[in-house]
Amino acid sequence: MIVNQINDGPFSGVRILELADEKGHWCGKILGDLGADVIKIEPPGGEQTRTIGPFYDDEYHKERSLYFWHYNTSKRGVTLNLNTEDGRRIFKELSKTADVIIETFKPGHLDSLGVGYDVLKKDNKSLIFCSITPFGQSGPWRDFQTSDLLHLAAGGQMGSCGYDDIDGAPPIAPGGGQAWHMGSHYASMAIASALIYRADSGVGQYVDVSIHESCALTTEGAMSSWIYMGKTMIRQTGRHAGVAPSAPTQTLCKDGKYVNIQLIPMRLPPKQLETLANWMDQYGMADDLLDEKYKDTAVIQEMADHISETVRKFINNMTREDIYRGAQEMGFSWGAVRTHEELVTDGQLLDRGFWVDVEHPELGKTFSYPGSSAIWSSTKWRIGRRAPLIGEHNEQVYCDEMSMSKAEISMLSEINAI
Amino acid sequence: MSSQGTSTNNAKVLSGIRIVDFTWVRAGPWATRWLGALGAEVIKVEWPLREFGRGFGAQGTPPGIDPSLNSNGHFNDTNANKLSLSMNVRSPRGMEIIRNLISVSDVVVENYSAKVLENWGLGYEELKKLKPDIVYVSMSGFGHTGRDKHYTTFGPSAQALSGMTFASGLPGEQPAGWGWSYLDDTGGMYIAFNVLSAIYHRKMTGEGQHVDMGQMIMGATLNGSALLDITINGRSSEREGYPSGNRSHWPGSPMLNNYRDRTVAPHNTYRTKPEGYNDWCVIACFSDEEWRVLVELMGSPTWALDKKFDTVLGRLNNQEELDIGIESWTKTLEKYDVMQKCQESGVRCMPVQSNEDRAENDPQLRDRGMYQEVDHPVLGTWRLQNAPFKMHESPAVNYRHGPLIGQDNVEVIEGILGMTHEELRSGYDDGTFWPQELDKFPYQKEFLS
Repeated sequence: MIVNQINDGPFSGVRILELADEKGHWCGKILGDLGADVIKIEPPGGEQTRTIGPFYDDEYHKERSLYFWHYNTSKRGVTLNLNTEDGRRIFKELSKTADVIIETFKPGHLDSLGVGYDVLKKDNKSLIFCSITPFGQSGPWRDFQTSDLLHLAAGGQMGSCGYDDIDGAPPIAPGGGQAWHMGSHYASMAIASALIYRADSGVGQYVDVSIHESCALTTEGAMSSWIYMGKTMIRQTGRHAGVAPSAPTQTLCKDGKYVNIQLIPMRLPPKQLETLANWMDQYGMADDLLDEKYKDTAVIQEMADHISETVRKFINNMTREDIYRGAQEMGFSWGAVRTHEELVTDGQLLDRGFWVDVEHPELGKTFSYPGSSAIWSSTKWRIGRRAPLIGEHNEQVYCDEMSMSKAEISMLSEINAI
Repeated sequence: MSSQGTSTNNAKVLSGIRIVDFTWVRAGPWATRWLGALGAEVIKVEWPLREFGRGFGAQGTPPGIDPSLNSNGHFNDTNANKLSLSMNVRSPRGMEIIRNLISVSDVVVENYSAKVLENWGLGYEELKKLKPDIVYVSMSGFGHTGRDKHYTTFGPSAQALSGMTFASGLPGEQPAGWGWSYLDDTGGMYIAFNVLSAIYHRKMTGEGQHVDMGQMIMGATLNGSALLDITINGRSSEREGYPSGNRSHWPGSPMLNNYRDRTVAPHNTYRTKPEGYNDWCVIACFSDEEWRVLVELMGSPTWALDKKFDTVLGRLNNQEELDIGIESWTKTLEKYDVMQKCQESGVRCMPVQSNEDRAENDPQLRDRGMYQEVDHPVLGTWRLQNAPFKMHESPAVNYRHGPLIGQDNVEVIEGILGMTHEELRSGYDDGTFWPQELDKFPYQKEFLS
C-alpha cells in the first residue's frame, strides 16, 4: 500500500474507510493516530461536522472548524456521493481494498443503497464492517433521534451528575461531547478485537455498536447499586453520586480555586491523620489534631466532624497548588480542579511530550494539538497529518491507487458523483 | 439482513492468550473483565484485604447475604470472566511462582502507582527477560515518566486535574463535576484497547512492548475541541457562560461554541410529571423545522408562536422564556410519554434515566439483552452488564461470575504451572497462598484435603 510514509503504529497496514459524523470520527482518529490508513469518505461539499464550531480565528468556513480538525487527524479525505450509481460503484471498488469500514448512517441506510455489509462482503470476505449508531441495529428505539445531551440523559450520566447544594438544580450533562467518545471507545475495542480474530482466522465480521449501551455501561457503581442493593443515586456537588449522602470533597482554596480531596475522616488511619496534622501545624492550623488522643481510631470516628472542619479551614487558607502539591508529596491522591488552559502549561504533560506540533501547510502555520494518553515502547503514536481538506486526496486515492484518469475524476465531479 | 441476527458462534478473539492481572479497585479490573469476555485466560493475582474492590465485606453486599470477601456485588460485575489466584507476591516464594507464571503468559496488566512493579523487580526490562515478547500495559495516575510520576490519582482527582471536572456544571457555580469515576471506566476501556492493539502488533511483527498510560493524561485527551480553541484561538475557557450547564449557550454570555455540539436552542433539561427526583427529560432542536414540529406537539401555545422564537438566534436570545414555556408542557406528561410523542415526530427528546430506569424501564436495553443473568456461588443469580457491541463472529460473552478469592489456585498452581499437590499444600502452610492468620473458606479447605 502506498500512503502514510511514517506509519508504524500497531495498526500500520490496516486500511479503514470511515463514513462517519460525530458518532464515529473519534474512533477513526484513535485508530488513525495509531497507524491505520484511514480514508474519510465525505459527501461532495464535505461532512456536516465541518460546520460545527469553534472556528479558526472565529471565521466560519468548512476548512476552519476546530471541531473537525480535532477529530479528524491522521486521516486522508476523499469525496464520494453514495446517492449516485457512479458513487456507489466506486465505493464498492474501494471497499475491496479495505480492512475495516466504519459507518454511522441510520440503521439500514447503506443496505437500502445496495452497499451494505451483505453486499460488500461478497467481494471481500475478510472485511470488518462496524456500524456505530445511537441505539444499535435493532430494538424499539432503533430509529430515534439523538444528540450528545440526549445520550447522557438516557445513558445514566445525568442521573449521577449534579448539585446537592443548589435548590432545584437539574441533573447535569458533563461537557466535551462525551457520549460520542464513549461510543467510539467501545467501537475501537471491538474493531481491534475483530482485527485480531481476522489475523487468526481470515474471517471478517459485522460489528454493531450502540452508543446508548456504551453510555449505559459507563456509570461505574450506579448499576450495581441498583441491581444488588435496590438503591437509586443521589447527585452530589463535585463528587460521586451515592446511595446515601456523603461529605463534600471539592474544597475552596484562598485563591478562589478548588481542590478535590479524597478524605473520609471517619475512616482516617491515625498515622495519616498525624501526617496531615503535622503539615497543617507548619502553618499553625492543626488546632488540636496533634493531640495524643487521636491515636485512637474510636476518637477519630467520634471527632470526624471536627477533623473535617479543621482540614477545611486549613485548605480555605492555602492556595490550590500548595494544597495539591503538598498533599501529593505526602501520598494523598488529591487533585487540583484545573481549567482547560492549565493543561497547556502543565509540566508533567510537557515532560511526556503530550503536545504535538501539527502542520497546516495550506495556512503556512503549525499548531499545537493534544497528543497521546500513553507512551508506546515499540510502536508509535503520532498525528500523521492534520485533518484533510475537502476531497484533498481524491486524486491520490482515485488516480494513483485506483488507476482512474484525471479526466474521469473531473467528469465524475461534474456529475456530482465525487 | 443477516447482520441483525445474534451469533451462535463461540469463537473467541483472545483464545490462547494468558494475562497476569495485577489490577485493583476499578479501572484495571474493568479492563481485564472485557479481555476475559473476549476469551483471554485472565489470572487475577490478589491478596485478601489488599483488593479494595472486594469491599472488605459489608460494603456492597446485597441484603440477606453474609458479608465476606466473596459477597460484593459491584466486585462481581467488575471482575467477571477471570480466575483468581491468591498469592503473597511480597514473599520470595510467591514472587518466584509469579515469575514462572509470567514466563508462560502473554500479557501483564496493572494499575498501581508508578514504582510498584519496579519495586517488585518486575519492571519492563525484567518482564522481557521472563518473556521476551511480553505485552505490558500499565496505567498509573501520571505515567511512569515525567516530573509528577510519583503522584497518584483516583478517578475524581484525575478528573479534576485533566479539566474534565471543570467542564461540567452551571456557569457561575462551582463545578458539578462527574458523579462517578468516568476516568476509571474509560481508563479500563483504554487499558483493554491498548492490550488488544499491542497483541495485534505482536501478531503482525512478533514484537511485544510496554504501553505506559497515565489516567490524568488520558483525561486530558477527552476535552474535545476546547483545547484547540486555546492553543489555536487563544480563547480562555475561564469565561462567562462556560460551562453552559445543559444548554449549548448560556443567555447573556458571549455567543461562543461550548464544545458539546452545535449552538442551538432549545437544548436543555425539563421537569416531567410527577416531578420526582428523576422526573426530567431533555429536548434539543437542531433546526427551525424541528422546532416547528415541537410547537405543534405542544399544541401551538400562544407564547411559542411569537416571532422571536422563529429563528435559532431568536430562541438562543430568549432561552429563559423558551425553557419556561417548554417545561410548562413537559410537566403535563411523564418522561417516557414526552419521549414517545417527540420521537414519533422526529423531535430529539430522551428521558433522564436513573440506574433503576435503565435496569427495569428501558425497553431498548432490555430488547438488546444488556443485562443478563450469571450464577455466582455465594451471591446467587444476578444480572451482569454486557458488551455494548455485538460482534457477529466472535462475540464478547460474560462466561463467569467475579471469582471467589483464591478460587482457582489449584488450576493455576497445579494445572498451568505443573507444581505438585504437595507444593500446593506447603504454600498454604507457609503463608504463600493464604495468610496463616486468616480462616480459609470451605472451597479452599476442600482443595487442600
